[in-house]
Amino acid sequence: MKGRRPQLRPLGEPRPVHVRTDDQGTPEFVRLPGKTARRVVTLRERWRIDDEWWRQTISREYFAIVLDDGRVLTLYHDLVEKAWYAQKG
Amino acid sequence: MSQTRTSAQRVPTHPGRGWALPAALPAPRSPVPTPTDFDAPRAAAATHTALCLWLPTFELRLELVRAPELDHTSVALLAAGESTRRTIWQVSERAHEAGVRAGQGVAQAVSLCPSLTLLEPDPAHYDAATEILLETLTEISPVLEPSGRGRVFLGMDGLDRLFGPPARQIERALASLFAIFPAPLVASIRAGMAPGRFGAWVAATSARPGGPVVVSERELPSFLGRCPVRVLPVDPRMVERLERLGIDTLAALRDLPAPSLVAQFGQAGRDAHAWASGRRIDPVRPWHRPIPLRASLAFSNPVGQVEALHGALDRLIERALSRPARRGRSVTAARLGAHLEGGGSWVVETTLREPTAVRERIAAPLRAKMAIAPPPRAVETLFFEVTDFGAPSAQESLFDRKDVSGRANGGSGALQGDVPPSLREAVKELKLRLGHSPLYRVVELDPWSRIPERRHALLRFDP
Repeated sequence: MKGRRPQLRPLGEPRPVHVRTDDQGTPEFVRLPGKTARRVVTLRERWRIDDEWWRQTISREYFAIVLDDGRVLTLYHDLVEKAWYAQKG
Repeated sequence: MSQTRTSAQRVPTHPGRGWALPAALPAPRSPVPTPTDFDAPRAAAATHTALCLWLPTFELRLELVRAPELDHTSVALLAAGESTRRTIWQVSERAHEAGVRAGQGVAQAVSLCPSLTLLEPDPAHYDAATEILLETLTEISPVLEPSGRGRVFLGMDGLDRLFGPPARQIERALASLFAIFPAPLVASIRAGMAPGRFGAWVAATSARPGGPVVVSERELPSFLGRCPVRVLPVDPRMVERLERLGIDTLAALRDLPAPSLVAQFGQAGRDAHAWASGRRIDPVRPWHRPIPLRASLAFSNPVGQVEALHGALDRLIERALSRPARRGRSVTAARLGAHLEGGGSWVVETTLREPTAVRERIAAPLRAKMAIAPPPRAVETLFFEVTDFGAPSAQESLFDRKDVSGRANGGSGALQGDVPPSLREAVKELKLRLGHSPLYRVVELDPWSRIPERRHALLRFDP
């Protein structure tokens, strides 16, 4: 039997989401694809990643949040694309 | 001659006897909150009007409640940490007068004050007292945000119809604490109420025990204007620079153009200007606190050997992970503590880099912290607590299956290449039904990458 090459599937790939922020750029409402918008009740952590400026710049502002239905979510604002994503990990 | 004392009593749930109110215990070295305490205003369920209840040197006061005979003597609480060079954490008024300061080495402190009584810290006792404090205050307001031990913010929006004007609301909050804690402890609390956490904190720092400070929205800019710049929750080096430039008060700071401050200090300059002018109101965030999962082990004889403690830690983690309450949730933060021989306690905490339910990954950072700051004495009871949980994992039950010997392996075997027989059987059945294995194994690619999607990948699992 012919062996198949192992295929890797990246884990924690970002998914686009809709986010409404306040004046400070902090998420207030988040709408995941196919779901209704949920309110952000707690912002647990906020950090920024700037990397690979020598290749294709990665510049992200991450937010670890808790939604009003209790779900814990990690979002980031892609500061290059100006788009919002949800990400696991 | 100095002496070291410990006490086995746990939580002060009854009023103290003959414990006189210290006129003014020295404020801690850094009463100013850290920059992260006020970062990023939160929206949603947060409330605008904040009440800050602050008890300076909370831990030392708890110790004095346990040992009232030490009141009005020179007492210092030791900092937890390395046993080779202990430092002073908090000092009583009498010790402060003798020149003892937080951060000093024990030898220096004792040479300055030969009658100094040194107390070992008892973090489990302080945490238990904090827990009771917070539980009591939830009866006043559901929006509660602790900020370290001894300081808590309460969201007070809408409570005027329930409790009356602000002064009555503060009275009510303190009365609820008087019912639980010793009177001298509660009487030392400084209370400040103002719009936003920063305003409430500044109000609390300017309040006297028994004399709360209430600042209305209209009064906030003028109240803040009189305060020194060192109340700002920013890097102390920024405060030093401002003072060197002759900017001593928040009024002087807010008179500066905001762009100039941003040019000098970046985002911190913008924040400082917004706080100083009263424009930035940080609401009180509701406290997110999952019910901790706890497992403990009492030794028949006190244990001092690190290897024995490591073995006990492994057993405790296994027990906590196997609890039904944990199923479907991973661990993101955990705490290891011990009640020590002769009284006192010891605690180390860790926040895991990634959520996990694998024993070894939880144990490793706790062991590392134990190596840096081991328990100062032999351990009578070791306890392990999961303090925060991560996202649920749908595959957990499959990998949690018991092996041949009937012991749960927590899925660690599959990660290490040793496939449990039950999993092997499951894959076989699925292959017969579907023609291929629909299971995947998580493999590490670049686990320390700053980009999350580059850390791990799925590889088809076909043993």
